[in-house]
Amino acid sequence: MESFPRLSAAGASLLDRRGFLGHAATAAGGMALLDLLAGDGLAGDGAAAESGPIIPVIDPSDPYAPRSPHFPARAKRLLVIFCAGAVSQLETWDWKPELVKYDDKPLPGGPAVTFQGPAGNLARPQYDFKPRGQTGKMVSEMIPHLAGLTDDIAFVHSLTSRTNTHGPAENFLSTGFAADGFPSLGAWTTYALGSECADLPAFVAIPDPRGIPQASGNNWGPGFLPAEFQGTTLSASAPVRHLVPPASVSAGADAATREALARWQKRRLAESPADGALAARIASYELAARMQLAVPGVADLSTETAATLRAYGADDESQPLKAAFGRNCILARRLLEKGVRFVQLFNGAYASGGELNWDGHSKLREQYDRHASILDQPAAALIRDLRARGMLDDTLVVWCTEFGRMPFFQKGAKGRDHNPDGFTCWLTGAGVKPGVSHGATDDLGVKAVSDIHPLYDFNATILHLLGLDHHRLSFRHNGIDRRLTDVHGRVIREVLA
Amino acid sequence: MHASSSFSRSFPCFGFLGVAVAGLVSLATPAPAASPPDFVRDIRPLLDRSCAGCHSGEEAKSGLRLDIRAEAFRGGDGHGAAIVPGKAAESVLVRFARGDEPEMQMPPADANVPALSPEEVAILAAWIDAGAPWPEGIDRASLVDRRDHWAFHGVVRPAPPAVRDERWPRNDLDRFILARLETEGLLPSPDADRARWLRRLSLDLTGLPPTPEEIDAFLADEAPNAQERVVDRLLASPRYGERMAQHWLDVVRYADTHGYEVNTERANAWPYRDWVVAAFNADMPYDTFVRRQLAGDADRDDAATGFLVTAAVLLPGQIGADDASKRLARQDALNDILINTGESFLGLSIGCARCHDHKFDPLSLRDYHALQAVFTGVTYEDRELRSAEADARRAEIASHRAAIASLDAARTARAPLVGNGSPRASVSPRLNVDRIVPRRATRVRFTILATNSLEPCIDELEVFDAEGRNVALASAGATVISSGDNVAPGRHELPFVHDGLEGNERSWMSNTTGGGWVEITFAAPVMVDRIVWARDRKGVYTDRTAIEYRIELADGADVPLEQVADASDRQPFGASAPTQAPGDGSAPADGLSEEDRAALAGIDAEKTRLTARIAEIDRGLTVFAGRFSSPEPARVLHRGDPEQPGDEVGPRSPLAFDDRLPPLALPTDAPEQARRMALADWIVHPANPLAARVIANRVWQWHFGTGLVETSSDFGRSGALPSHPELLDWLAADLVAHGWSLKKLHRSIVLSATYRQGDAMTAEGLAKDSGNRLLWRYPSRRLEAEGIRDSMLAVGGLLDLSMGGRGFDLFRSRGGLNGFPPVETFSGDGLKRMIYAHKVRMEKESVFGAFDCPDAGQTMARRRQSTTPIQALNLINSPFTIQVAEAFAARVDRETATGDGSRVERQVKRAVRLALGREPTAEELVDSVVLVGDHSLVAFCRLLLNTGDFVTIP
Repeated sequence: MESFPRLSAAGASLLDRRGFLGHAATAAGGMALLDLLAGDGLAGDGAAAESGPIIPVIDPSDPYAPRSPHFPARAKRLLVIFCAGAVSQLETWDWKPELVKYDDKPLPGGPAVTFQGPAGNLARPQYDFKPRGQTGKMVSEMIPHLAGLTDDIAFVHSLTSRTNTHGPAENFLSTGFAADGFPSLGAWTTYALGSECADLPAFVAIPDPRGIPQASGNNWGPGFLPAEFQGTTLSASAPVRHLVPPASVSAGADAATREALARWQKRRLAESPADGALAARIASYELAARMQLAVPGVADLSTETAATLRAYGADDESQPLKAAFGRNCILARRLLEKGVRFVQLFNGAYASGGELNWDGHSKLREQYDRHASILDQPAAALIRDLRARGMLDDTLVVWCTEFGRMPFFQKGAKGRDHNPDGFTCWLTGAGVKPGVSHGATDDLGVKAVSDIHPLYDFNATILHLLGLDHHRLSFRHNGIDRRLTDVHGRVIREVLA
Repeated sequence: MHASSSFSRSFPCFGFLGVAVAGLVSLATPAPAASPPDFVRDIRPLLDRSCAGCHSGEEAKSGLRLDIRAEAFRGGDGHGAAIVPGKAAESVLVRFARGDEPEMQMPPADANVPALSPEEVAILAAWIDAGAPWPEGIDRASLVDRRDHWAFHGVVRPAPPAVRDERWPRNDLDRFILARLETEGLLPSPDADRARWLRRLSLDLTGLPPTPEEIDAFLADEAPNAQERVVDRLLASPRYGERMAQHWLDVVRYADTHGYEVNTERANAWPYRDWVVAAFNADMPYDTFVRRQLAGDADRDDAATGFLVTAAVLLPGQIGADDASKRLARQDALNDILINTGESFLGLSIGCARCHDHKFDPLSLRDYHALQAVFTGVTYEDRELRSAEADARRAEIASHRAAIASLDAARTARAPLVGNGSPRASVSPRLNVDRIVPRRATRVRFTILATNSLEPCIDELEVFDAEGRNVALASAGATVISSGDNVAPGRHELPFVHDGLEGNERSWMSNTTGGGWVEITFAAPVMVDRIVWARDRKGVYTDRTAIEYRIELADGADVPLEQVADASDRQPFGASAPTQAPGDGSAPADGLSEEDRAALAGIDAEKTRLTARIAEIDRGLTVFAGRFSSPEPARVLHRGDPEQPGDEVGPRSPLAFDDRLPPLALPTDAPEQARRMALADWIVHPANPLAARVIANRVWQWHFGTGLVETSSDFGRSGALPSHPELLDWLAADLVAHGWSLKKLHRSIVLSATYRQGDAMTAEGLAKDSGNRLLWRYPSRRLEAEGIRDSMLAVGGLLDLSMGGRGFDLFRSRGGLNGFPPVETFSGDGLKRMIYAHKVRMEKESVFGAFDCPDAGQTMARRRQSTTPIQALNLINSPFTIQVAEAFAARVDRETATGDGSRVERQVKRAVRLALGREPTAEELVDSVVLVGDHSLVAFCRLLLNTGDFVTIP
């Protein structure tokens, strides 16, 4: 956006702010004016924070029409790899050699009680770390394949969450609010940008083969945004619900019914051509019909080569969960290739004492061995495959988890409790500066101490890379202009290319 | 120090004052400083350049405004005075600009404005040290009275305006609509035809389409009051209350689960839902409706206060064990009560003042916490319903439960003895009895040696003495320890192994795969007769079952354990049929005597009878309507942070309304119930400007899709302005004048000429008012999710009109590892109206959830009407649609056995009449006859359920 000429100072103040824009946005010329502002960089981050909300205008008969970003976007589409259950930063990306030194010693001045109960002694990282790539950054042996991508990744090690409870924290990560009921990042994105794919859902959530995450549909829900922007769940093993009628309906009857329905509706529309709701309805059935054709095609992995299946671990019969996740990873790539705007790929399900997701309270090493073997190779293969196909030029990849874990074990257990005060997520791909480690936790990993970023900032950064100003992308609900980042959020410029 | 207006002198609260006019901001470069610094020459340019972007105007960040003298001196939220005249070192402005606190460095790096140079900071400091001379009268903005807002002024009943076309209005409200249309040069639309009006009215008032018979009767009714009688019939129908209750439950975000991560069942929420339905049906005066929901316990109307606790809430087991987590969770829970109260009844977004003074409305942080003091004695819990009838039912249930317990004991007392020489039944996930020769003991240990899968889980470990008393119960004084636990709060916890409650949802799980033990120590030594245990007495789960185990007893803490039973004399796991009902786990091989068999049959019959009786009377005795106890102190929390408590405050209505109506102001030690009653009094006080307007507007919205105020839960200064302010006041005044009767309000609306208009678009209307805010046509719109489902069942002849009770399930299981697999075809209870579904928060119903059905996360004042391909897929392909289409076709077939013309034509006509309330056109008839002939009537019924006409309020 820096390359765009800015409005003169006087012009900027003339067009100030709510007073004018608030009204202009409802008038016919409102969007044009917003476009002008966007072109002048005022719709970007920072200085424009005080300018008015941008409320996309949605045509009900074409709700997924592509819409322009607020300023030139680095990324056109987004893959979010969401590791449910709170992956320990200390076993993965945030190397703490001091923990080795103080292994099994109490943390002086540490909390007596954390989320689940009494705290035990400090515990060393449960995996060895090795220097990786050109940067030499230390990354865990738990995830050797992902570690091989270190040079391409921008890590943020100093994230914080508002809550230490999984459900609210997943809400916070995915919706910007700990409470239930707010729109998800994917809903905001597709609401803002529409879709570039005419026959697939704009926003697909791929649940883990082990089950749904803790906050379930909140992670892909529309909240109070129109239902058009809800994520559609689809995985390599679970098709879109109601994509086809039950077997009792013959193909011939089905086709004849649809055709007769279309004729019926069009006759009605001819009687009242200005009926926009009916026009939208007809359009929605047409899109549904295209989805019926397109979804089975995109979900059909039989055209993938044996080499691809192997690369993703999707052929690993000895590890059915890894193979299933690998197939989901291939599906994610296929969806992105078709132009799906937002793919949310889950790794990990419900808490279940850490058996089915990353919630390693009691036997972290044993459980992480299993979980890592499911995540690592397929997810790394997916990112490499995207790069090999040139897609990382305009696809942003986000790896995230709802919070981190404590540097000490829980009393009487071999696992770590919830820690919302300093954890790691990362970005790679379009618009991301490669090989960056931004922010830091203290020497033991108790909490973030430098360049501290609440998750608001992480979400603000994601929107920014999509060409969206998190301060301004808004939806008016109950009299409040709601945003993904509430009244918070700063773009983390250090991770931008 | 604040702006000099008569208002601010009489009312010294800055929070009510906001920006009036912002002038042009000049961005001049600061002149080189000469001493002493001059505000206009030296200081203001710095503020304009580096600060004003965020710290001016009404939405100034952190509540700090530097464009108004008084505000700048006062400072923003929580940092104290920005400017302390004479003391630069104490002035936040200087400290932050200088970077004394790196995290608060101003301006922040990403603000993209120049930071203050050290020289500039020095100029600023010098100015403040010189007394911060800021001349009066040069501020670029001035403060306005935030109370001066249309909705905060009293309701004054306006005279209906004169109109040019005196023939059009049917009642006074039409005059307001017509006068406005005439002013804008628009004409109202011609009346809709009678059949269309009836369909609109029926869907609107009851959520169900009119039957062909109702249509015929109405069309044949030539009496001048035919419309009135139809309206009265529909308002008297119980279906009316169901329809309106759905609207209200959206506002309060009712659900039958607790929400958040575990989303467990809120088993006793539904009596509140039924209360709302009944209140609408009884035309409970709206002021009473408000009072009861806030303080129904004062009138022994207990279910009504379910209103207070409709929001999602974290259960104790989900909240962190640390105190800060608990305090935050409590504040969150209280906040939701305030949101419900403020938005539902007052149209005020009071929740916005939780952390800072409201940005727009005259609600301060202090007001928020003073209002919170009304509710600090309320917790999210069940409460027993109080009435003589409820007490009698409870007593009867208790006696039946006791009888069942003795029957169970009698049954297990007949189990074969351990080691009797013949093989005992296999271990059953559902119930196992290990009866021994009675033996004295103080403790029992149950050790699992192998499971059929995963870590073992035991729902209840019972130990009976010879008299049939369960001595292992915690309530009998027994205590428990274990080898280690997998804890899922509220579901798997060690104490649940002896809490007397059955089923997986109250069970103990070991943390060891295939092993673990629990040990129960009794309150006193007992003669142990038998040990009874199971994986899941409810029979849902069969995994995690202990298939190899050892039971040991000891008579004393230091006496070694001795084994008394194990699985070695049982048949191998899976060899005998699993026990089908709670019994003794015995199989015929046990060789019971005929006498024992007969006795057992008698016991089972009696138990079945008692269980059925309990199920019949044990509904709605307990209601999730809040528990009331001595209020916690309410404190003004700095930034809403419970770790930063300030002054204690007593219950108090917002100060800004004090000159409108008598304030609610109670001492900090006021009794709990009195607080809620006082708030109810304040809300429905005749002089309260909001309550009547807000509900009148909601009712209008329920009939026209959009309220006169579009933001129906926000009447504040950031809400929308009313399209017809006088009409709104007229409706509000009329409502109060008619004893707050909502049915009277509905009646005058639906009998109006405004409501009777056709819905056709006109070029003129679209050009002048494309959004139809002036109502030049009736705003036809898509039915809500529930209306579509209910209408489908109705035309299919499947709808079960029985009312109330625990909701029917939309999902086969609720959360956990199984997720929420949907029920796809329905029978029994599942054919009731959708308002009677068990509403799972956050999980949308698999077919109709996609039709903008709220997920009960946040309040939903007004539903959207989006149109999506997922809706299309659901409505055309779901098994539910096919199920209904088949029933619909069968019904049509039955009802067209005789008549004129071809059978297929009769079928098509009848189906269209049932579904759409009209005759098919000639083209439709021809096309449809072909479809039915080539394929089936079911195919045509499926088509009809997917038409725009079917799902539209016309």
